[in-house]
Amino acid sequence: MHSKLETKKPKLLWLQGLTCNGNTHSFLNLNSLDTLLEQFEILYFPAFATDYTYEDILTCKLSCDVLIFEGTYDSTLQRGGILLADVLQHYAKSAKYIIGAGTCASFGGMFAEMNPQNKSGLLFKKGEWVTTFEMYKEKIINLSGCPMHPEWMAYTLQMILHHKTILLDELYRPQELYGYLSHHGCTRNEYFEWKVDAKNFGTKEGCLFYEQGCRGPMTHASCNKILWNEVSSKTRIGTPCLGCTESDFPRTHFFTTKTNMSIPQDIPFDVPKRSYLTMVGIAKTFHIKRLEGKLIDYKTTH
Amino acid sequence: MARITKEERKQGIINAALQLFSERGFYITTIPDIAQKVGMSVGNFYNYFTSKDILAKELIIYISEYLGQSIREINEEDISTEQKIHKIVSMYFAMAEEKPEMIEYFLRVYLSNREVFADGCEGMICVSPFVTEMMIFFNDGVEKDELHNQDFFSAFGLFMGYLGGMVFLFGEKILPEPLDNYKDSISQNIYNALKTRD
Amino acid sequence: MITKQLIEHIEGEASVYFDMDGKKVDFATVVFPHFRGMESFLEKKNALDALVITPRVCGICGHAHLMATVRALEDAYKNGGYEVIPTQKANTIREFTLVMEMIQNHFKWLYMVIMPELSKLIDKPFTQKPLKGAYASSLASKAIALFGGQWPHSSYMIVGGVTCDPTYMEILQATSFVEELVKFFEKECLGVSLENFLAFESCKDFQGVESDIATLEATLIDLDMQKKGFAHDRFLVLGTHNFSSIGKLKGTRTFHVDPKFVTTIQAYTPHEKTYAYNALYKDEYYETGSLARMISSNESIVKNMHRRYKDSAYSRVMARIFELALLLQHGRSILNTLDVTQDSVVKVEDIHNITAKGIGVVEAPRGPLVHEISLKNGLIESYKIITPTQFNIGSSTREKPTPVQKAMQGISKDEAEFIFRTFDVCSVCTTH
Repeated sequence: MHSKLETKKPKLLWLQGLTCNGNTHSFLNLNSLDTLLEQFEILYFPAFATDYTYEDILTCKLSCDVLIFEGTYDSTLQRGGILLADVLQHYAKSAKYIIGAGTCASFGGMFAEMNPQNKSGLLFKKGEWVTTFEMYKEKIINLSGCPMHPEWMAYTLQMILHHKTILLDELYRPQELYGYLSHHGCTRNEYFEWKVDAKNFGTKEGCLFYEQGCRGPMTHASCNKILWNEVSSKTRIGTPCLGCTESDFPRTHFFTTKTNMSIPQDIPFDVPKRSYLTMVGIAKTFHIKRLEGKLIDYKTTH
Repeated sequence: MARITKEERKQGIINAALQLFSERGFYITTIPDIAQKVGMSVGNFYNYFTSKDILAKELIIYISEYLGQSIREINEEDISTEQKIHKIVSMYFAMAEEKPEMIEYFLRVYLSNREVFADGCEGMICVSPFVTEMMIFFNDGVEKDELHNQDFFSAFGLFMGYLGGMVFLFGEKILPEPLDNYKDSISQNIYNALKTRD
Repeated sequence: MITKQLIEHIEGEASVYFDMDGKKVDFATVVFPHFRGMESFLEKKNALDALVITPRVCGICGHAHLMATVRALEDAYKNGGYEVIPTQKANTIREFTLVMEMIQNHFKWLYMVIMPELSKLIDKPFTQKPLKGAYASSLASKAIALFGGQWPHSSYMIVGGVTCDPTYMEILQATSFVEELVKFFEKECLGVSLENFLAFESCKDFQGVESDIATLEATLIDLDMQKKGFAHDRFLVLGTHNFSSIGKLKGTRTFHVDPKFVTTIQAYTPHEKTYAYNALYKDEYYETGSLARMISSNESIVKNMHRRYKDSAYSRVMARIFELALLLQHGRSILNTLDVTQDSVVKVEDIHNITAKGIGVVEAPRGPLVHEISLKNGLIESYKIITPTQFNIGSSTREKPTPVQKAMQGISKDEAEFIFRTFDVCSVCTTH
């Protein structure tokens, strides 16, 4: 699927559409970032200077091997007075790989929600296919996430450097990263198993799925496998997963679970509703004292 | 003459047990009574059910599955929620008329003798097939915007409490008319209580 | 003669139009050419959705937006008759993560903006690697993630407190990261210990020190930056925290402030359309950010510096370095005060019963961030965001210039570009 690169350093170019810069800052958190970047010739990166100015890039006299695009694509957007669409088309043509950094570049994301006409991700607008960059689909890799995890970008760049084929899912996201659910590895899993709901926010105990709107079982991501900033994740500390790697991000009614007659509207991927409800019905019958109590009893004095 | 299978034998015990529990009462009926009605030895009986308590629990699971399957067929039909309510009520009332021993077992044995079912049938485990189908029914109704969203137990209690109450009155022979005559008005009442508001 | 200069390597994009008088800048206007429409996007949404949406205004100061939102919501609760008082534990955690984000911003600005930009003005370029700033920032982010789950974009603050419920394990780990960060700062950036640095009486104490920051300080003096880049010598601090002291200052005289006197007007950009609005306090332009906060808090070394060098570019840069040191010390100490047995979140009224307005103000790295929310039965009727860059880097007329416009007058174009960056522009924030 991907051709071999020259033995000299591949050229990397990071361009932005409508963005908050979150993916850039997420990437800057990467351990050993300098070692990784040294293996590329960086033509342009938003956070530090390179041998080329922005104006050099915009005049489109250069070409790159790896094109990274961050932010929502807006066909009317101008950067430095030049239509970004033209700039992107130019670099996309010669690039061997095109990486959509973040949910905005992958699916349109947050900024495609505002005045949505002319806005989308590289290949998708929410879950719908868009044809603007369709001719380059063989080279596109989506690293959705709001923001994406820096290790996901590191993985992709290193796979490219080692000439390895990256297996992608139907949304063009690497399967080795997005095959997991953000539910896998959450420290609250036992509460999910026995259907012990968190009664409120701010507790170590309880599963956030039933009432606090956690999208973990419906979200493809490896947040609880790789961990964020090498130490933690949202659900571990008690914030519900917001489903930010999926094409329908942002949804609405965050922090609450939509229920129909107390039954969660959305249930774990590919689990039949009957099976799920039978399990829940049975599990909710049991009251396991240990799981309904506090994990750590600070009040008992010794 | 064809050989009777184990499954058919087991079904025979179930039918007989339900009949006897209905006629004479749960505590009065003994294993020998049931074995005799089926025409097998007590020893052989224990090959199918190791104790009366086990039999009691298996019966409730059997009834739940039967009810669950019937409701599932209605759930899967491509009709409105209002029509589904009517079909569920009709099915329930038909069962009360044609197989009274089943509904009676549920109301008079299961609900009234919780101590028998305490160990092994905690909460809703044994009625799970039936409850799951009712959950599917309510879920679909709200998803299709035909029922208004509310707490599951409020809705479930309204529906099942109502039906159970009517069947109880029927069993006590208090209802002046056949049960079937009430199904339209009862379905309408249930639908009006649960449907979406303007 | 008008020259347009595209400013890159800022959060987002901006252009400065220089009106030159020979080799000196006579006047300059600033254009922010993009618009995202987040305020109107927030309308009709559930109030709690704002906790997910507003951090996405900005990737580098998303935490400040989160805190401004939660403060605005809690203010609305109060005005709606249901006052919310988070526990001391929740307030401490919120402040800790905010301080860490600020530290993170300061490091990145120093190594990825100021040092490289300054090197353009001298013959010998700095050999400091920009990614040094990124490394320090990543340590700060780890400390944040222990409480917030991740950085950037955590959404871990909610009405009534925070979603996390840490043990001493998290607190000790966070303390380790802060210590590591302090050591890094001392060894790799400062060249002296934190305690010694905070005991400096004046910038002369840098003499004899060999470090990135000592070199930075010496270079600023070599370039006469203490004589350039003056704005109005008026400062504004609006966010209430344990590390700031709110007030309006003219020179060093302090006055009382109230966020309700903040207004915005259309920017003046005759050469190109801009989407930014200028922010004013009682119809005047004020400088915000580290220098403002340090003077307002009466930090003696900054007051000394200000006495000699007023609000020059030198003061502006050095103030931020001093604030970085102070914040590191502050971050260290507040962790010690955390009581894990307190509740993380207090019981609050159902948000659907809240119909009220609220204002949330936070000191973001570059100055006050103001969020104004109007709720009706828990839905957002209107949402207004005013960012610190709107205070510092507005674009107005010659007669009434904004801080950055005043600072860029009368110097060369190259120097003006540097001085522009001493205000640290966050364009994404401003074009929300």
